[in-house]
Amino acid sequence: MRPLAIVILVIFVAAGLVLGALNADLVDYDLAFARMQLPKGAALLGAMVIGWLLGGLTAWVGVSMRQRRQRRQLRADQKSPLAP
Amino acid sequence: MNHLYVLAALIPVAFVLGWWASRQIGVRRSGAEVSELSSDYFRGLNYLLNEEQDKAIEVFLKLAEYNRDTVETHLALGNLFRRRGEVDRAIRLHQHLVSRPGLTDAMKTVALLELGEDYMRAGLLDRAEALFSDLVAMDAHAPSALRHLIAIYQHERDWHKAIEHARRLEVMTGEDEAPMIAQFYCELADRSRQHGARAEARDYLRQAFECQPDCVRAFMLTGRLLSEDGQHAEAVTAYEAAINADIAFTPDILPPLLNSYARSQQMERAEGFLRDMLGRYHGVSPVLALTHLYRQRDGERAAVDFLTAQLRLRPSVRGLMALIDATMDKIEGEARENFLILRDLTRKLLEGQAMYRCSRCGFGAKAHHWQCPSCKNWSTIRPIHGVASE
Ligand SMILES: [Zn+2]
Repeated sequence: MRPLAIVILVIFVAAGLVLGALNADLVDYDLAFARMQLPKGAALLGAMVIGWLLGGLTAWVGVSMRQRRQRRQLRADQKSPLAP
Repeated sequence: MNHLYVLAALIPVAFVLGWWASRQIGVRRSGAEVSELSSDYFRGLNYLLNEEQDKAIEVFLKLAEYNRDTVETHLALGNLFRRRGEVDRAIRLHQHLVSRPGLTDAMKTVALLELGEDYMRAGLLDRAEALFSDLVAMDAHAPSALRHLIAIYQHERDWHKAIEHARRLEVMTGEDEAPMIAQFYCELADRSRQHGARAEARDYLRQAFECQPDCVRAFMLTGRLLSEDGQHAEAVTAYEAAINADIAFTPDILPPLLNSYARSQQMERAEGFLRDMLGRYHGVSPVLALTHLYRQRDGERAAVDFLTAQLRLRPSVRGLMALIDATMDKIEGEARENFLILRDLTRKLLEGQAMYRCSRCGFGAKAHHWQCPSCKNWSTIRPIHGVASE
């Protein structure tokens, strides 16, 4: 990993710790199927992580499905007479 | 409660960011695949440029197996096989390409055209002819297919079909193929003449002139027909027209023309025409003809004087040889021996010379061909002008 990326990562972790410490008060959440009490900072972080993972998963599924389709077509095309 | 709105806004933002990051990684990975393919491609190209065709074929074969758009690669490969003389492999490859499902019509016809060229190269002219005829009927790559068909008919000396297809090519491309068609008619006329069908030969010559009014070959054939029929005065007119149509062919036309002058007893006219030629033609042939004429009419002295004066203007080995032959009789003793050596030397010098050369491909020949044996172009072979030849 490049040094710049490490620096940015450290800054974000520090910011997360500071925000978590500043917003440590518990809040009630009603998610329709469950009720829970979470610190404000943890809820913020959790929302970020879940959104990020969902986005990444969607993109990955899309790409891998397209590749599988291409590979199948390629196999159908390849009955090569090229062997000497 | 308002931090809930912040949460609600954060989720889609994070979603988009995650999606984008994942795409970036994917692009980088497939980019690596592409660059691997193109590095293979350049490696193959490099082998090709270094004339290491075996290795190039290996690389392109590997490339063809992995790449989805293999048609272009197959075509390049087939070309390579044909160029190397491995015609059977090229034929198999192109046949596979043609039979492959899901190929666009444009690509399929390109493959068919290549297959036809393979057949031609392998000498399977009947198959090539059928294939090119189909392509012409489908109106796909018709100009190329027609050109190949014309080449096949020329090879088979089927001049009628060659003429028919050349005319179709003319209509299709708008290019002027008349000089070539005139040559085909001349071939027909010459064949009829050899078989004794003189009226038929004259008719073909008339059609040749219709295609190309200043066709040298047609004029020469007309002269030959007429002189064979004993009409020497008319033959003289035809031969003179041939020289006027293309003065470069003078060395080929002068001998029969001089013969016709002599047979029709028009030596005055011969002198006038040859004198006129000296001004516009820089070869030695008319000089030698005039020397011969003066020798017969005015004697040896006048002939040698004329020859030496002309040789100063246009130095030439053939002229020198004529001069040596003319002065040989008067010389005796040691000088005669030296002259004999000189004469042998000039004769040897002329023997090794190619007298004709193709202006397209540089093919050199001792005899004249109307169609170049090397590049198959018509009337591109011409007499060479230089000190040692004309
Ligand atoms: Zn040539």
